[in-house]
Amino acid sequence: MTHLRLDHLVIAVRDLDAATADYAALLGREPSWRGSHPAYGTRNTLFRIDNTYVELLALGGGKRDGRWAGELSRFLDEHGEGLYALALGVDDVEATAREMRRRGLDVLDPADGSGTDEATGARRAWRHAQVRVPSTRGVRLFFIQHYSPAEALPPAPIASAAGGRTAVRRMDHLVVLSPEMEPARQLWGDVLEARLALDRTFPERNARILFFRLDDITVEISGGAAQTKEGLGKPDRLWGVAWGVDDLDAACARLREAGIETSGPRPGIKPGTLVATVKGERAHGVPTLLIEHTPESFRPESRLPQGAAYDRAPERRAFTLTALDHLVLATQDAEAGAARWRDVLGLGTRQIVTPEGTHMRLADIPAGNCFIELVQPLSEGHRVARSLAARGPGMFSMALEVDDLDAAVADLRAKGVPVSDAGPGVWAGTRVARIDKRAANGVSIQLIERR
Amino acid sequence: MIKNVHHVGVVVRDIEQALGFYRDTLGLRVHKIQTMDDQGVRAALLTLGDSEIELLQPVVDDNGVARYLERRGEGLHHVCFEVDDVDGDLRALQKMQVELIDQEPRIGIAGRICFLHPSAMDGTLVELCEPIPS
Repeated sequence: MTHLRLDHLVIAVRDLDAATADYAALLGREPSWRGSHPAYGTRNTLFRIDNTYVELLALGGGKRDGRWAGELSRFLDEHGEGLYALALGVDDVEATAREMRRRGLDVLDPADGSGTDEATGARRAWRHAQVRVPSTRGVRLFFIQHYSPAEALPPAPIASAAGGRTAVRRMDHLVVLSPEMEPARQLWGDVLEARLALDRTFPERNARILFFRLDDITVEISGGAAQTKEGLGKPDRLWGVAWGVDDLDAACARLREAGIETSGPRPGIKPGTLVATVKGERAHGVPTLLIEHTPESFRPESRLPQGAAYDRAPERRAFTLTALDHLVLATQDAEAGAARWRDVLGLGTRQIVTPEGTHMRLADIPAGNCFIELVQPLSEGHRVARSLAARGPGMFSMALEVDDLDAAVADLRAKGVPVSDAGPGVWAGTRVARIDKRAANGVSIQLIERR
Repeated sequence: MIKNVHHVGVVVRDIEQALGFYRDTLGLRVHKIQTMDDQGVRAALLTLGDSEIELLQPVVDDNGVARYLERRGEGLHHVCFEVDDVDGDLRALQKMQVELIDQEPRIGIAGRICFLHPSAMDGTLVELCEPIPS
């Protein structure tokens, strides 16, 4: 399956000239492209920034009854201006369409499209496949394969008044409101295969947010924890966007001069960020945030020798991780593996055992402050066997000792971290629970409590 | 020879994002964040009892950590053992013709270090380190 990129974001607007002027002011950039789609009855303005481009889309420039025009017109009537669609870039749109249909998306047949720049006459061509909205629970998506080279759409020139540090550099994140989060998790995680970086509950805001990554852009699926019941069956909605700038103070000052008010800057939820909300109508129905990743978040060591600003572990905790208990290494042969650790690194084996009912042969190798557990799976369906088949032998998981396992499981679940029920461990006197590796940057973590 | 597990190395795409879990959710304390420009990595060290978790983020796209991330995604990367005498251990390993990544100790975030080749230890990437007294 080809890797999906966030190709561009489409904003539906009524008055293209007014919207173009407002976005030029907001982004601190001149348009990359002003064009029309005569066959579809739409006109657009494009701004390419560092990691994507934004398209302002309006009616006009040809047949009013074009397919896009009809849909856009209905959207504007029902919702007004605002975020309209998300284009996911692919290398082979035909293959993607086939695969996504197999995964249950209602994908229309791929079709060729093209646009012409009004000023230069330049033409760009692509092939795209639209996904019918019901199968995405309300978010308008299409897959796009560009025929034209990337340089056909040049970066939006930074306006001379703006200066590089106040202009919008990149899209930081995109917010999707989801009254019922599980289907959205399936769509973005299982069907589109975006990487779930974090699943987090914010009790103080009564919210749960899934953070998916498409390259360096985060898609935040945001749902109120308490509204899920009323939200059953209600559609998701592309809602807002956060634009990354280098210098937020200067960017806000520039916007003020352009007559655009902001609230902020204030610290963002993510450590090391400053954010400001764009007020008023100049973002054309798009809730808009500007975000700066403060220099500390990139190179803190230059100013913070002790990493002090990073040591934000909460003072009062439901549980404490007290030690590295052991490391689990997958092997095809526990005996041969144990011999290797003895011969090469001088680490002798305490015992090799096959605990009843586990389908595992385990070598227990003390290593000072913790121990190494070699695991040889004895049945094919075993999760260690699957890991061996997929990734070969080597590090499989780490077991962290916790002072209160039940409290840890409850606390992690309250924070939205998927974790198994606590149960007996393979080693005598232990209880364990496993954290889903997708919540832990790909690391399979076992919490272990010793009595 | 080997005294303790000094740290477990975890490769991540974005240290800030990973701290959201390892520091904010698990409650581990960060005691050092450092960029090693010569190695093209940025590391955050989190205290775990008398051991550590080292989050590693590549800051260039052509080193081992970046290639690892590209090929295998985020996850467990290496285990580092604390030793008394990294020079002596390295000589002993060379004598045994153990496959090595480093033929000479070099300075890493944990002290004077060397890496064995993962094929030497059944697929596990092993680092040895002799901490430098501060």
